[in-house]
Amino acid sequence: MRIPEQVHRLAIVLAIVIGGTLLTRFVIIPRSLVSTELHWAQTTQREATRPLKFAGSTACQDCHEDVAAKKAKSFHRVLACEGCHTPSIKHAEDPSAAKPTVLRERKLCATCHAYDPSRPTGFPQINVTAHNPLKACVTCHNPHDPVPPKVPKECAACHAQIERAKAVSSHALLTCTTCHKAPERHKTAPRTALPSKPDSRDFCGACHGQGAAGAPKEAPKVDLSTHGARNLCWECHYPHLPEGRS
Amino acid sequence: MTAQAREGLYELLEQVTGFIYPNEIEIHWSILIVVYPYVTGLVAGAFILASLVKVFAIKEVQPTYRLSLLTALAFLLVAPLPLLLHLGQPQRFYEILLTPNPSSAMAMFGFVYAWYLMGVLLLEIWFEYRRDLIVLAQTSRSPLNRVYRVLSLFSKDVSPEALAFDRKAIQVITIIGIPSAFLLHGYVGFIFGSVKANPWWGSVLMPIVFLMSAIVSGIALVIFLYMVLTALRREPIDMACLDKITSYLFYAVIVDFSLEALDFIHRLYQSEESVKILGKLITHKLFLSLFVIQILLGMFIPLGILVLAKARGFNDDLRKLLYFTAVILIQIGIFATRWNVVIGGQLFSKSFRGLMAYKMEVMGLEGLVAALVLLALPFVILAVLIRLLPTTRLEEPLTP
Ligand code: HEC
Ligand code: HEC
Ligand code: HEC
Ligand code: HEC
Ligand code: HEC
Ligand code: HEC
Ligand code: HEC
Ligand code: HEC
Repeated sequence: MRIPEQVHRLAIVLAIVIGGTLLTRFVIIPRSLVSTELHWAQTTQREATRPLKFAGSTACQDCHEDVAAKKAKSFHRVLACEGCHTPSIKHAEDPSAAKPTVLRERKLCATCHAYDPSRPTGFPQINVTAHNPLKACVTCHNPHDPVPPKVPKECAACHAQIERAKAVSSHALLTCTTCHKAPERHKTAPRTALPSKPDSRDFCGACHGQGAAGAPKEAPKVDLSTHGARNLCWECHYPHLPEGRS
Repeated sequence: MTAQAREGLYELLEQVTGFIYPNEIEIHWSILIVVYPYVTGLVAGAFILASLVKVFAIKEVQPTYRLSLLTALAFLLVAPLPLLLHLGQPQRFYEILLTPNPSSAMAMFGFVYAWYLMGVLLLEIWFEYRRDLIVLAQTSRSPLNRVYRVLSLFSKDVSPEALAFDRKAIQVITIIGIPSAFLLHGYVGFIFGSVKANPWWGSVLMPIVFLMSAIVSGIALVIFLYMVLTALRREPIDMACLDKITSYLFYAVIVDFSLEALDFIHRLYQSEESVKILGKLITHKLFLSLFVIQILLGMFIPLGILVLAKARGFNDDLRKLLYFTAVILIQIGIFATRWNVVIGGQLFSKSFRGLMAYKMEVMGLEGLVAALVLLALPFVILAVLIRLLPTTRLEEPLTP
């Protein structure tokens, strides 16, 4: 059979399109643009040629044994020296050539310890403007082995956010220990001895249940058998800032 | 943050109701992303109408065959532009093509688009017009005849066998073309339907609903263009053709409506956790665009008009008027459909507890003006195409 003329023409156009595509894809475009491996390799190379700044977390301990040993047992054991002393590779290679920075200002410690609600519960946080103002932190806390100079008396020292929420809530007059039994050790080594938490509806019911004996007069009452029946109270009411009355 | 941005943010914050996440205040998919499925829908619809003539051999619709093809082409050329403008750095779009990511549904658009444009539409148009191009190359004057010669790819063969081959080729292309048109627009529905996290979008019915509404809007558009074109040319309208197409339109609207109703009832019955916020969404935010424009103006009233026009033996002029009103209403309705999907899907919070607001830009790359320009552009392209390529087959005998 004779191949129709149209097919010839289209075949030429098709060949040009395909040829053009292949040409652009494999010849004109540099390989580095399409090959992920080359991409990575070039990036690695580019990064590798940058000058080194950090000596690394193990570089300091050989010469500063005492500091390193102290810090290793402290609350600050997870921090790297250069996190506070700024990158110091020059100093580590030749101590007399360069000195690392020694920051004694309050703002160094504030970057990690200033109060911030997004930090985990129990992370040591302070209100920088209120906590012993105008004195450098290092006058009272050794940066390589920080401890609170004395055991805090208030739960608020470590649970400031909860304390602050509770202070403006209907529960302001209830102490933390009304609802949590906290062992003394919790204040010195918090994670080794956790306080108790309420675990049943009846706990809140003791003050809020209808007809509960000895319940405070001011506490609004609900019918325990129907009110939010299938859920724990704190699945709906945040106990440190309870809301219910509009 | 600039003072202006802060002011804009405040204006939005006042319109937010309930609880939303901080990063939800800005609606990212703007009116351009409404224009995009609307335009691709028109392409798919117009092409499917054209296929009726070739595949199902429906003779009455013949007068709109070439017009449908050219309409599909004009709108297809504009289809990717809203996406490009939306990119933020439109001049970098080619990088998507150079480094294709086959696991990204969005990146595959380029391939679906290229296939549909080059593998289907241009080929079909070329075969359909080849003979006419050869005729035109011989009959038209100097600069233009060269254009035609190039367009015909310097083809010269107008023997009966060659013409028969053209017809057969068109047949084959149309058969491949229908699933391709489905793919093109089903793909757009797929993009939305596969967003699991968004209950307004995530539905398997989405591609099918998109497709059906695409057919509705495409047919309505071709009717509109056909009527305007004959009026401009002061030619008589082929009423048999018009009656036939409008009855297709009628059925398409009914199927489209049933599908959307099905989707709606399904959601209501499933009653997932999102049902409450979706209820609020359609009653608070989408009342006008969904109930009034999409359903009442865009479906019920046109359906009523079409029923009226068919049932009563109205004369031609009155029927024309009724049809014309119906297709315009349908067009507005389908645009509202796209709006409700794209913008509606971004107006409620992922927390299912709050509603946001969309503040449309007027100027700017993603503003109202850009959208209007994009909607007008296909008509300009179509005008040029119609100038170049006759919408009816040339009758003059060949002068050798
Ligand atoms: C090769 C041994 C050596 C290494 C390694 C080394 N240092 Fe030192 N460093 C010294 C010596 C010696 C001095 C005392 C220099 C002086 O007082 O003139 C010193 C002093 C310091 C000082 C006090 C500077 C001052 O102004 O008082 C700091 C802080 C310090 N080093 C931090 C670091 C840190 C952080 C590292 C790890 C990156 C490190 N050093 C690694 C030897 C070393
Ligand atoms: C929490 C931040 C912090 C970390 C981590 C830290 N330092 Fe310091 N370092 C300081 C501050 C603040 C001073 C200044 C203390 C002062 O003036 O009383 C200091 C002082 C020093 C000095 C000066 C001499 C001295 O003992 O007073 C040396 C040496 C030193 N640090 C070495 C180290 C090394 C080695 C490490 C890592 C094992 C390290 N530091 C980790 C904050 C830190
Ligand atoms: C890079 C972050 C960082 C910096 C900077 C930092 N700390 Fe700490 N600090 C910590 C971490 C982490 C802990 C351990 C918390 C824990 O065990 O849960 C801690 C613990 C402490 C504790 C003990 C808290 C307790 O539970 O008894 C004190 C006190 C303290 N830091 C004081 C300081 C002082 C003073 C400075 C400034 C010289 C400082 N910190 C700088 C991260 C930092
Ligand atoms: C005048 C001495 C003094 C100064 C200066 C001082 N603190 Fe304290 N700090 C204390 C005492 C005492 C406590 C014990 C808790 C309490 O009673 O508030 C404490 C507790 C803390 C705690 C909480 C410990 C825990 O277990 O949660 C942190 C964190 C802390 N200080 C960080 C700092 C930082 C950071 C600075 C500098 C911005 C600083 N301190 C300055 C005396 C001081
Ligand atoms: C020295 C700081 C410190 C003091 C003081 C302190 N806490 Fe804590 N508390 C913590 C830390 C750290 C955690 C552990 C947080 C975690 O694991 O996320 C904790 C956890 C808790 C928990 C949660 C236990 C759980 O199972 O989740 C309760 C309740 C609690 N503390 C109550 C108290 C009460 C009540 C007081 C006062 C009597 C108090 N705490 C005093 C540091 C402290
Ligand atoms: C009205 C009773 C009540 C009082 C008063 C109260 N709590 Fe609680 N607290 C609870 C309950 C109930 C939970 C358990 C919530 C849960 O399991 O989700 C809890 C949980 C906690 C937790 C662990 C969860 C969290 O939110 O981080 C801490 C820490 C805590 N309380 C500290 C305190 C401190 C500190 C005070 C005093 C300032 C206090 N609470 C006062 C009832 C109380
Ligand atoms: C399913 C959620 C839910 C649960 C669980 C729930 N509550 Fe409530 N509670 C509410 C809501 C909502 C309101 C406010 C509307 C109302 O008065 O019913 C409220 C109101 C209250 C009030 C104020 C009533 C008043 O008259 O002012 C108190 C007190 C209260 N709840 C205590 C409790 C206690 C105690 C429990 C546990 C035994 C509990 N709630 C469990 C949802 C809940
Ligand atoms: C020791 C008694 C006591 C206990 C235990 C107690 N509450 Fe209360 N609660 C009160 C009092 C008193 C008030 C009202 C204070 C006022 O308004 O003067 C109150 C108020 C409330 C309110 C109303 C808040 C508002 O203003 O709308 C709610 C809700 C509430 N408590 C929930 C709880 C939940 C949940 C628990 C259990 C975790 C709980 N309470 C445990 C004494 C208690």
